[in-house]
Amino acid sequence: MQNRFLPYLLTLPSLFLAAVVIFWPVWDLIQISTHEVNRFGQLREFNDFANFAALTADPDFMAALWRTGQWTLMVVGGALLLSIPVAMILNTDFYGRGIARVIIMLPWAVSLTMTAVVWRWALSGESGMLNSALIGLGLIDHNIQWLASAETAFPMQVLIGILVTVPFTTTIFLGGLSSIPDDLYEAAALEGATPLQQFREITFPLLKPFINIAIVLNTIYVFNSFPIIWVMTQGGPANSTDILVTHLYKLAFRIGKLGEASAVSLVMFAILLVFTMIYVRLAMREQRA
Amino acid sequence: MSFAKWTAGLMAGMSMLAIAAQADAGEVRVTVAEYSAKTAPYFADVKKEFEAANPGISVKFEVVPWDVLLQKLTTDITAGTNADLSIIGTRWLIDFVQQDVAEPLDSYIKPDFKDRFIDTFLSPSIMDGKTYGLPIAASARAMYYNKELFEKAGIANPPATWTELQEDARKIKALGSGTFGFGLQGKEIETDVYYYYAMWSYGTEILNKDGTSGLSTPGALEAAKLYKSMIDEGLTEPGVTSNSREDVQNLFKQGKVGMMITAPFLSNQIKEEAPNLKYGVAAIPAGPTGARGTYGVTDSIIMFKNSKNKDEAWKLLDFLFTTEQRAKFTQGEGFLPVNKEEAKMDYYVNNADLAAFTALLPDARFAPVIPGWEEVAQITSDAMQKIYLGGDPEAGLKDAAAKANAVLKK
Repeated sequence: MQNRFLPYLLTLPSLFLAAVVIFWPVWDLIQISTHEVNRFGQLREFNDFANFAALTADPDFMAALWRTGQWTLMVVGGALLLSIPVAMILNTDFYGRGIARVIIMLPWAVSLTMTAVVWRWALSGESGMLNSALIGLGLIDHNIQWLASAETAFPMQVLIGILVTVPFTTTIFLGGLSSIPDDLYEAAALEGATPLQQFREITFPLLKPFINIAIVLNTIYVFNSFPIIWVMTQGGPANSTDILVTHLYKLAFRIGKLGEASAVSLVMFAILLVFTMIYVRLAMREQRA
Repeated sequence: MSFAKWTAGLMAGMSMLAIAAQADAGEVRVTVAEYSAKTAPYFADVKKEFEAANPGISVKFEVVPWDVLLQKLTTDITAGTNADLSIIGTRWLIDFVQQDVAEPLDSYIKPDFKDRFIDTFLSPSIMDGKTYGLPIAASARAMYYNKELFEKAGIANPPATWTELQEDARKIKALGSGTFGFGLQGKEIETDVYYYYAMWSYGTEILNKDGTSGLSTPGALEAAKLYKSMIDEGLTEPGVTSNSREDVQNLFKQGKVGMMITAPFLSNQIKEEAPNLKYGVAAIPAGPTGARGTYGVTDSIIMFKNSKNKDEAWKLLDFLFTTEQRAKFTQGEGFLPVNKEEAKMDYYVNNADLAAFTALLPDARFAPVIPGWEEVAQITSDAMQKIYLGGDPEAGLKDAAAKANAVLKK
């Protein structure tokens, strides 16, 4: 009898905590997004989901939604592709490995906002470090205005996004790699397996659960990541680098449309929830098979 | 022993609460924005002087950073714990009036009090014929020009019209070596305002007389075409849409930009960061008909409707707006005088930079006091960025005007 209730009793404190930090704000958001609200955040009458209807009619919102997909896919995908070889190199024994690991982890230690501010300066057209470096190397002969249009600004933001996502991903993979026993590789080498075969048949399959974790966690972080885009372009020029979070921020705190902004954040919450559920289910089924 | 200590502490606490409640009767609480490091010391002096002159009234200033001011006021008003007086951005005033939290001051304002103010600065705080706030801080914009670049290019005087400005910009561009004629802001706060300078010169206002957006008028199109042609001709700095006001100011301080339009505070920055830069301040260029406009900004101090000490609060306002107090505050913060007597002081009359700003005041326009103004400004900024990036001015402005009118109709 006691045993049956004990697990529930033990999860109760964390459930309560989750309720306070997750359920209550979400409930608040639902309230705000389904009502008319004034600038001071006071609720007026229920408005038949007019805030949600306004979103679907807003081309800026649809563009930001599409761009958020691109942003998440490219940053998460890029970070994964880069992190696997980096982690494998850092997992081998070589002179100065400790220093190499610290260098890879450094971007993680700096606050995201500071990184973005430094890059904003570095990418400045007339006095930026990147332009003078490229001119010094003879790669370009005139200054490139990196942040002046989305064609150059957005790819740079994606690259910076990848750069700051690599340390965390590499950490996860390093943990995964150290859990693969060395004798597997020794046996494979004895049988004459090439390094590529070893990677395909041993490393990758055994690393898969860690890749799955990295995909889910990174997708959640990157999807919601605000500082890089906000600091560098504020989603501009003319909303052409907006993702959902920056669009939401402008709606709420520039224009004062708290209702529509709450609707955006609920849409974001729903997308992430559905993504995580589908992905976790798929990944788990694969593992069981 | 410890219990006794607790009781003693509790009693002390309660008696303090009682004293605090009593003191509330003659106490005036004021929320003020922190403009600079000089703000808090100034108001500490005001407290001392005012309380000495008015026994029985105590004053409490709450100094709040500008960025969180609106948020603090919002929370305070919702909870009913707001102060008696507060500084606000005048463009927020309409929300306060519509939510019925601001007290009209007309019953207190005597003709001689009203006469202290320069009309230009008082009028934005007047709504539906009632005065809801008094201008505590004021600023405007004028054109800075680099005297050294002008000399090198053989230009004697700052341009009086946009046509002259274009010619001067061409001469400065011809100097080569990374110098740009006209610094054009195309990013972040006040991107829309930078466009209005030209728009006002072509006789178009932000709002037409019937309350619709002015963006679809011929004047607005002329102004957009002017800026676009200057970008196409290479008369501005490259990458306009990547340069915020601060970025353009930095280019100016580095001596790379011939002319730019900004606020009086650039003078203070140049004094500290680039003391060797030779610059002048002139009027914003005029359009073909001689029309011109500058952007004026004021912050107002308002009285809350639920204040219990309105008479005492008014005494404090009366004190704050004496010439002596105004001069102390304005000169410390680097604002423009809002008080007629103050404006006649040597400090302002003999300051060439400030004189250029005050001379422009008759042409000052303020952000229109309408609900949804922030959204209209955002629409305008977005439209200008598209045009600066090579978009068609006519189509862009038409689209923006339609969007702005949809907001204005609400």
